[in-house]
Amino acid sequence: MNLRSLVWKELRERPWSVVSSSMAILLGVAALVAIRHVTVHSEQEVSRQLSSLGANILILPKEASLQNYYAADRNGQTLPEEHVTEVLMAGLAGVEKVTPKLSMPASLGGLEVTLTGILPQSEFTAQQAWQTAALFTPRKHEGCKKASHEPSEADKTPESLNTTRSIENLEKNQIVLGADVAERSAFSDGDTVELLGGTFTVLGTLSRTGTVDDSRVFAHLHTVQELAKSGEVVSAIEVIGCCEDAAGDLVPELSKLLPDARVVTVSQVVQTQVGVNRLMSGTSWFVLGTLILVGGASLASAIAANVRERRREIGTLMAIGATPGFVQRLFLMKALVLGLVAGTIGCVIGLLTAVLIGPQWAGVAVLPLPGLAVMAVGAATLLAVMAAYWPARQAAKLDPCLCFQEV
Amino acid sequence: MIRLENVKRIYTRHGQTVTALQCENLCISAGEYVAVIGPSGSGKSTLLSLLGGMLSPSSGRVWLDETSIYEQSVVARSTIRRERMGFVFQTFNLIPYLTALENVQVPLGLNGVSLPDQTARATAMLQRFGLADRLNHKPSEMSVGQQQRVALARTLVNDPQIILADEPTGNLDPTSREVVLKAFDMCHEEGRTIITVTHDATAAARAKRRLVLNEGQISEELSSFAKVA
Repeated sequence: MNLRSLVWKELRERPWSVVSSSMAILLGVAALVAIRHVTVHSEQEVSRQLSSLGANILILPKEASLQNYYAADRNGQTLPEEHVTEVLMAGLAGVEKVTPKLSMPASLGGLEVTLTGILPQSEFTAQQAWQTAALFTPRKHEGCKKASHEPSEADKTPESLNTTRSIENLEKNQIVLGADVAERSAFSDGDTVELLGGTFTVLGTLSRTGTVDDSRVFAHLHTVQELAKSGEVVSAIEVIGCCEDAAGDLVPELSKLLPDARVVTVSQVVQTQVGVNRLMSGTSWFVLGTLILVGGASLASAIAANVRERRREIGTLMAIGATPGFVQRLFLMKALVLGLVAGTIGCVIGLLTAVLIGPQWAGVAVLPLPGLAVMAVGAATLLAVMAAYWPARQAAKLDPCLCFQEV
Repeated sequence: MIRLENVKRIYTRHGQTVTALQCENLCISAGEYVAVIGPSGSGKSTLLSLLGGMLSPSSGRVWLDETSIYEQSVVARSTIRRERMGFVFQTFNLIPYLTALENVQVPLGLNGVSLPDQTARATAMLQRFGLADRLNHKPSEMSVGQQQRVALARTLVNDPQIILADEPTGNLDPTSREVVLKAFDMCHEEGRTIITVTHDATAAARAKRRLVLNEGQISEELSSFAKVA
């Protein structure tokens, strides 16, 4: 018979008392784990969406809204193309890539599409003025330990339009088809097509992204400008900062540089989801606070009641030689077991809840996060031990003469 | 030897001071069998608590051989109780969620005895009290007499030199009372010191020395074994 056996046998003797005293902790941990799992996965989803959108910053005409742009940026408002040169010449820290675009409606074999003119990256290196600009000896942003879009071989294929929002080479008579356009028009690589009165060869087809890009046809910016007779204008300029922090710093600098344009971060696209994430994150902290208060108070009260119930037993144990430290450990260990068990069960319930209802609740797939689970169980155990400390200490201070008193 | 030297225990309740026990000098030699008798509220439990190192005197000293026990730390007093004393209670004070065997193992566990030794010694002690078939019964599954025998087994399992008993036969039928008193006789024969507080005249008669407590004052009923100064 030792401390552990005494704790275990006492717990087994009073199963309902165990359940009721640890219920608050169990529910609190379950709620906390479920909310945190959904929040973390939702945040990851936002981050993934941001990454898939590519550009950190958009420079739009003053009157255009971000929604207009992503609804196909065909609102008729434009910016002078020289803004691209101004951005490049300014040599702002953290600018990694600049992609001007001009979009307009067009018909491809009877199919309504959005024709988007883009400037391939090779055009930048061909411009003498830009070669001397700071872009090619760019000032690195302090936060950019790792570039968000390192140039790679993939940039040389049309698919890079999906991954990095730019393309290395695109001849003036070449086009790249979005997935929907390719599917519905039945054109494929190497085909010759008529568009806005011009003749183009299909360079490639993009894979499906689930965005408006699927219904776009990409061509050289200057070709689109010529065919549309729009002059040297663009619908939007996408700027990729080397990291999210850089994007944040760049917005005020670009706004100052281009006062007639509207400069926004792409994160505003997912603002609603970010808002929901913030709410859930706040809720999880509220749950944590409630867990500490209600769970801790509930367990402290249960242990204090247990000490009162067992006064005679404590007195007897002291009479037969148990030290005050032994008595204190008896109750602390009981609390530790309760916290550990309630925390573990709560964690499993929370995990199952998050995995099962996460997709319906927040539209994200939820996978278990072992670190979070271990932290939640650890926190519950620590909370239980801390809550039991005072009643356990009171138990250790009880008068052993209680053993002589009548019940 | 146990000695009380100018011991006074005072309680203050509702602003009133009550002297629960006052004793200038009381010696109990090793191996003595002493019964303490007296009416309710006379200070019997206070005396037992003082002797057991569980209640500090308001003044004076309690000696166990050459050790003034209240000048020791709380932990040291726990060790003294664990290693040298055994307690028998009127209501047995068995731990309700433990079996007979486990109850008897508790003092051994507190003394750091290994689990196999605990089981062997506790089983042997329960067999000695005729409880071999009740090892795995909980107190609620045993008769009152059996419970007191389990309590006696728990008291003796650590082989204490001193046994302090509080009304050990108070709740027992005559048969069970005889079992307890025989156990005390046997302990006395083995040379242990027994101090029992009792209302039971039969139990008191078995002791070799009787002390009378009245309003906190100790007097000797038979003066042939020790003196009360």
